[in-house]
Amino acid sequence: MSSAIGYPFTALVGQEQLRLALLLVAIRPQIGGVLLRGEKGTAKSTAVRALAQLLPPGTPLRTLPLGATEDRVAGGLDLQRSLQEGRPVFAPGLLAAVDEGVLYVDEVNLLDDHLVDLVLDAAADGVNHVEREGLSASHPSRFSLVGTMNPEEGSLRPQLLDRFGLCVDVVGERDPALRVELLRRRRAYDADPASFAGRWETEQESLRTRLTSARERVARVQVPLEVAATIAELACSAYVAGHRADLSLTEAARAHAAWQGRERVSVADVLAVAELALAHRRREAMPAPPPPSPTPNDDADPPPQETETPPTGQDDGDSQGPAEADQSEDSDDSDESSQPASEPPPGEGETPRSHEGLVGPDGAQTELSDDPPDAGPGPVDGELPAPPPGEPFRVRALEPDTDRKARRGSGRRHRSRSADRRGRYVRARPTQIPDDLALDATLRAAAVHQRARRGSLDPKASSGAVQAPLIEVRPADWHAKVRERRTGSCILFVVDASGSMAARGRMVASKGAVLSLLLDAYQKRDKVALISFRRRDAEVLLPPTASVEVANRLLEQMPVGGRTPLAAGLVAAAGLLTPLLRREPLLRPLVVLVSDGRANAALEAGDKDARREALELANHLAQDERVTWVVVDTEDPRGLRFGLARELAAALHAPSYAIDDLHADDLVGLVKGHTA
Amino acid sequence: MSRPPYPFAALVGQDDLKLALILTVISPELGGVLIRGEKGTAKSTAVRALAQLLPERQEVAGTPYHLSLAEYLENRGQLVPDLGDSPELVNVRVPVVELPVGATEDRVAGTLDLEAALTQGRRHLEPGLLAAAHRGILYVDEVNLLDDHVVDLLLDAAAMGVNTVEREGVSLSHPARFSLVGTMNPEEGELRPQLLDRFGLCVTVAGSSDVGERVTIMQRRARYDADPAGFASAWAEPSWAITERIAAALNRVHSVDVSDELLLRIANTSLEAGVDGHRADLTMMRAAAALAAWNGREHAQAEDVDVAAQFVLPHRMRRRPLEGIGAVTAAGGSR
Repeated sequence: MSSAIGYPFTALVGQEQLRLALLLVAIRPQIGGVLLRGEKGTAKSTAVRALAQLLPPGTPLRTLPLGATEDRVAGGLDLQRSLQEGRPVFAPGLLAAVDEGVLYVDEVNLLDDHLVDLVLDAAADGVNHVEREGLSASHPSRFSLVGTMNPEEGSLRPQLLDRFGLCVDVVGERDPALRVELLRRRRAYDADPASFAGRWETEQESLRTRLTSARERVARVQVPLEVAATIAELACSAYVAGHRADLSLTEAARAHAAWQGRERVSVADVLAVAELALAHRRREAMPAPPPPSPTPNDDADPPPQETETPPTGQDDGDSQGPAEADQSEDSDDSDESSQPASEPPPGEGETPRSHEGLVGPDGAQTELSDDPPDAGPGPVDGELPAPPPGEPFRVRALEPDTDRKARRGSGRRHRSRSADRRGRYVRARPTQIPDDLALDATLRAAAVHQRARRGSLDPKASSGAVQAPLIEVRPADWHAKVRERRTGSCILFVVDASGSMAARGRMVASKGAVLSLLLDAYQKRDKVALISFRRRDAEVLLPPTASVEVANRLLEQMPVGGRTPLAAGLVAAAGLLTPLLRREPLLRPLVVLVSDGRANAALEAGDKDARREALELANHLAQDERVTWVVVDTEDPRGLRFGLARELAAALHAPSYAIDDLHADDLVGLVKGHTA
Repeated sequence: MSRPPYPFAALVGQDDLKLALILTVISPELGGVLIRGEKGTAKSTAVRALAQLLPERQEVAGTPYHLSLAEYLENRGQLVPDLGDSPELVNVRVPVVELPVGATEDRVAGTLDLEAALTQGRRHLEPGLLAAAHRGILYVDEVNLLDDHVVDLLLDAAAMGVNTVEREGVSLSHPARFSLVGTMNPEEGELRPQLLDRFGLCVTVAGSSDVGERVTIMQRRARYDADPAGFASAWAEPSWAITERIAAALNRVHSVDVSDELLLRIANTSLEAGVDGHRADLTMMRAAAALAAWNGREHAQAEDVDVAAQFVLPHRMRRRPLEGIGAVTAAGGSR
């Protein structure tokens, strides 16, 4: 490593849990590493670097950078030696280097999925198997994984989360005196790191001594039966999956006992470390067999009449496809991280309330006036006050699997194989076209053959004055870079702002839903665009932009009232999509149509066939496979139902969700998603 | 010779912006400045002008990593060849390295050196922009438009002060401590919270609404455009005065006394503002010390803390991506 003198571990201020967890891992690698999760600027990385000074001599601590390529993680062909020896020689990667050591990933939640997979595979077996570039190798790879993450940037895959033996939720210290002490020490360190470290050397040394004896002791530490029973009970009452929690907890308790200088684990040891081992694994109580639909609201509701629709469960299945992993990750993680096990995620349960609150007198009034197709609501074709958005909630993943080849459902919104040379170079594959060559992989492929190829040349020619390149590359060696780009998608919101939408507070709920989707878009770095339609026209309120905040503001101010020119809304969407796709051919936009489907204003005067016109248009638009449609049916599930939005959805080949279906909730929904 | 950039000293108004940039030079530990504002508010001009005022520093000659002597002694024989105990040192001006928005990750992090690979069959890193910016300033115009994975690279390096390369068969790490200076137009989208936090200071710039100032801006600009070299030399003296003052502040900054009373004021300011973590405190302290040093004082004052707070807090107080939609984010994270 470089940067001269690190900040001493013993000089860290506060953060007791964080320090304890790191010490335990240093004592007992079998715990399985630690995840430091928390707000920015809480000394997470500083603490990990400080840990390096305390590990036993010879213990490797290596950083896995986010920009790593596969060959350096798993290992690959050694260019230099393969050249010299004329046969494939394996160059071990990070997974070999960290055997019996610590693998550190800063911002681990941003690590590319394919790298996560490599790490997980090795962690599961303790062995790294390599089958690549004509090599076949395997070597031991037992390591403690230490990661940091800021949950604001997204959550962690459950499999990866479970791999961390311990997890600390780090927050800043709130005690002003501690903060002052922290500042004082940091100032001294900034001014002169070397002499600062010198002043802490005594403490560092005694900590090292204590760690060494704890490390020697820990293998002898006994776990009495009744303590083991306590561990099992704790794990059970946290509803953890599998037994990894029990094992981590046991090992952590052992390390704690050894740290305290004892050779027997007490219940107190277990309690001292229980939260560290369970916090990230705790789940809600396993649900009983899934009820027919996930929300209490729907339960009370009679099934929709008239329209023959698939059960919601199937909708889920259709819509999940590639995004499945992403979604399960989101919900699982937050289920586990929000402390009280039985408390519903905030926001949920809110939305029904906000409907209720607004099914006021005006609701009934507007509904009556607009339900028969025609007859403007309210006074004239008039303006209703812009309703405020309802409470936002966490939304489910919406993208159906449109294009399995081009992307996988993971990471941010989705990951495109990028053809324009941008994006992260993740691996190489053989190619016949020397475009965007992966030079390293190409050379490695060529290296193996150099002896044979040079042998075929005239020896005199190569000794001539012209300096021949050392490596002769032939087309058979060509490898192209496979790049992945965590692209945000572009989400186009087409929102029905007609009078019928104002009925019974539907607009409040709809805005809440769009707002929630906007927030989701923000976290996935999507671009967003906003179209609203009412009276006789559609209006592009916001062309595609990365500023979700502007969209949010416009949404709040969006006026409501008038008839429903659904066709105009669809035309406007198409008008926006066409140039967008011309400019960015790889884009796969998602259009979220928020409407009750009660079209009553046609493109041309007459209005007779407004609804059929909209359906025909929808049929036509559905032909473009690059665009994915989702219909959010805003019809009040408790009112009179026409099911028109569902018809529209069918025409668009789109799933249709009631607003309540949008909630990324519980395990029930996930289970359905997996089994459907 | 290309034409000299517009002199820093000749910039009209934009006092906050100028001060923030100067503080960043005096105290690189601040981590840099984020400049928010509309187009045409002299954001880029100011940064390019700043480059002319930067002090010189010593580095070991003959390596691409801009190492100080201490860093060399630690890394010789590994990252860089062993040039003996007392290698040749050269004075160079602190660099301003520009990271274009379309930059690929190879250019940023470094990539396999084609020539060494082809002619010698050796794996060798051709260092990227992160190496070039070590102990200098990394400037990103329109930083909010940067590709996500490039941002990841910046975050990695900024967190550790080290760029770790594990790619294309190359495995090494080199020091990469830099001040990040970025400009952005907020209309085009916000920054990721983690990156936002890496900017020590933040200033919002707007066009001047003072008629007199606007006239002066136009006049100076016209004179500069007509004769850049002449204009620059007319401003040589004030420019030199700033350079001298920065150099003096640099000498003083680490010995400036920040009393416990002031530290408490800092801690309480942060707590009241409800910011995440401790970086706001640290940055406020460093900025207050830099301000005192800039003003030729040995002791920081309450006023320094209050001025520092205006640069340090605004971009940290937005706790959530979308103000007013807080509950959801809180649910997505771990409180």
